[in-house]
Amino acid sequence: MRKTLSYLLVLSGAAVMLVPFLAALGNSLKSFAQYIQVPPVWVPDPVQWSNYAEVWERAPFGIYLANSLVIAVLAVIGNVVTSATVGHALARMRLPGKQALLTMALGTMMLPTVITIVPNFLLFRSLGWLDTLLPLIVPYWLATPIGIFLMRQTFLAIPRDFEEAAGLDGANPWQVFWRVHLPLAKPALATLAVFTFTTSWKAVLEPVIYLTSPENYTLPVGVLSLKGQWVGNDQLVTAAAMMSLLPMLVVFVLAQRYFVRGTMSAGLKG
Amino acid sequence: MTVLTRKARPVAAGPPATARTRRARERAWALAFASPYLLHLVALTAWPVLASLFFSMTDYDLMSPPTFVGFGNFSRLLGDEVFWRTLGNTAYFAVLFVPTQTALALLLAMALNQRLRGMALFRAAYFVPVVSSWVVVAYVADSVFNPQTGIANQVLALVGLPAENWLQDPALVIPTLAAVAVWKGVGYMMVLFLAGLQAIPEERYEAAKIDGASAWNRFRYITLPGISGTTFLVLVLTSIETLQSFEQVYVMTDGGPHGASELTVLYLYRQGFQFFQMGYASAVAWVLFVLVLVLTLVQFRLQRRWVHYA
Repeated sequence: MRKTLSYLLVLSGAAVMLVPFLAALGNSLKSFAQYIQVPPVWVPDPVQWSNYAEVWERAPFGIYLANSLVIAVLAVIGNVVTSATVGHALARMRLPGKQALLTMALGTMMLPTVITIVPNFLLFRSLGWLDTLLPLIVPYWLATPIGIFLMRQTFLAIPRDFEEAAGLDGANPWQVFWRVHLPLAKPALATLAVFTFTTSWKAVLEPVIYLTSPENYTLPVGVLSLKGQWVGNDQLVTAAAMMSLLPMLVVFVLAQRYFVRGTMSAGLKG
Repeated sequence: MTVLTRKARPVAAGPPATARTRRARERAWALAFASPYLLHLVALTAWPVLASLFFSMTDYDLMSPPTFVGFGNFSRLLGDEVFWRTLGNTAYFAVLFVPTQTALALLLAMALNQRLRGMALFRAAYFVPVVSSWVVVAYVADSVFNPQTGIANQVLALVGLPAENWLQDPALVIPTLAAVAVWKGVGYMMVLFLAGLQAIPEERYEAAKIDGASAWNRFRYITLPGISGTTFLVLVLTSIETLQSFEQVYVMTDGGPHGASELTVLYLYRQGFQFFQMGYASAVAWVLFVLVLVLTLVQFRLQRRWVHYA
């Protein structure tokens, strides 16, 4: 009885989650006439697959995609590498002021980002980075509090013996980190990687502030700019939006367990 | 084993390191490992906090150097009706969004926690909106809340209710935005709650059942205290985030209709990046910053009253 109720709840919830996506997918395959038709048609007739090709023809969609990919991949590499080294220093190395650093990392997780919008803009402006991809990449190369925390917890859980056995062969700390600890931390690294990819991929605020030329647009900003240009062709903008989700969906399907793990271990979203 | 190998340690090239130089070298390595975050603290934490405090006391249009105006921006904010309205809008949005999302997420997590078959699949379904950008969500939401062609009005028509204008109705825009935000975020929170629920020992429920406790009492006296730690974390983080909500309104309504969904960070964005009043924008940021901090501190204070750590 309780199980039946639970199934009912979870199933109807899942329908509420997915039906709007299907409706939007349907919208992206309509002609404009059908897109605005009242009462609405749910299944496009005919199915206009050409909408998707038309987005590629009429907009620099490939450039948006490339920019988003470059930013996301470099952000992932940067955040994984630097959060791992910092997390390692906090977990396993003799670092003066270690406790204070950890406290600060935890504290800045709660630091409202609103305070950083204007000063970071001015900082990147003085560096001459406006309208480049750098402001969207470089901050990830300075480690993120959440990544540090996740990696620290992971490295703390690795038994000392491994380290000592390797350290005694005359290896330096980098080699211990690289050859001994990092391979043991793979699940955490994957978790941090998908978390960073997602955060970077769906960002709107930062690209809106930093990017001004269309050739630098990421997918969200690019699609948003099409909305203004293609009035009367909303089915095409919908197609563009659907396509911008696709790479994210692929990553999600392939790495689902790391998403769940990331949510649980971190308790923060991007 | 360690003792033996330690004796067998090969002597490094060069003069034998004394304990002190070895420790210095270890520190140098540790510092090198931690250096990205040290730079982060300077450039991305200390600088923004101090700089925005400084700029909040200046007039700065990016063209000419900033001029000091003391608390001028703040007193201007006090009399800025639009700013107050954005704070009201933000609070209204948060009051609708945070409790609804929390309650729904808990309900779904409890249902999923019945060891339902296909749980991973359901979890995935609830997670798709979480990983979608607001731009995608805007178009998905349009398929529901478009006044002419959306699903919502079709459903209302089915049960004989009049059509609504949703995002184009000043009275409905914030509730509609909150509903979309719940739809987008509930899966994330549900996963958090699921983890919290799974950490509650099964024996507690069994003991309560033997004692004849009702389902409600088991929920009230076992489940709720058992997940209070998770709930606290979730509440703190979502309130911090909700008060700074920007992307959703920027993409979906641009603050409209007639400013009915103008949230504070959208107002900050306009002041800074459309009107180039960096000083005024910084003052808005500081007021919001202080409000968020106060709210967080209050939540931490209240936590003693209701959060039980097992």
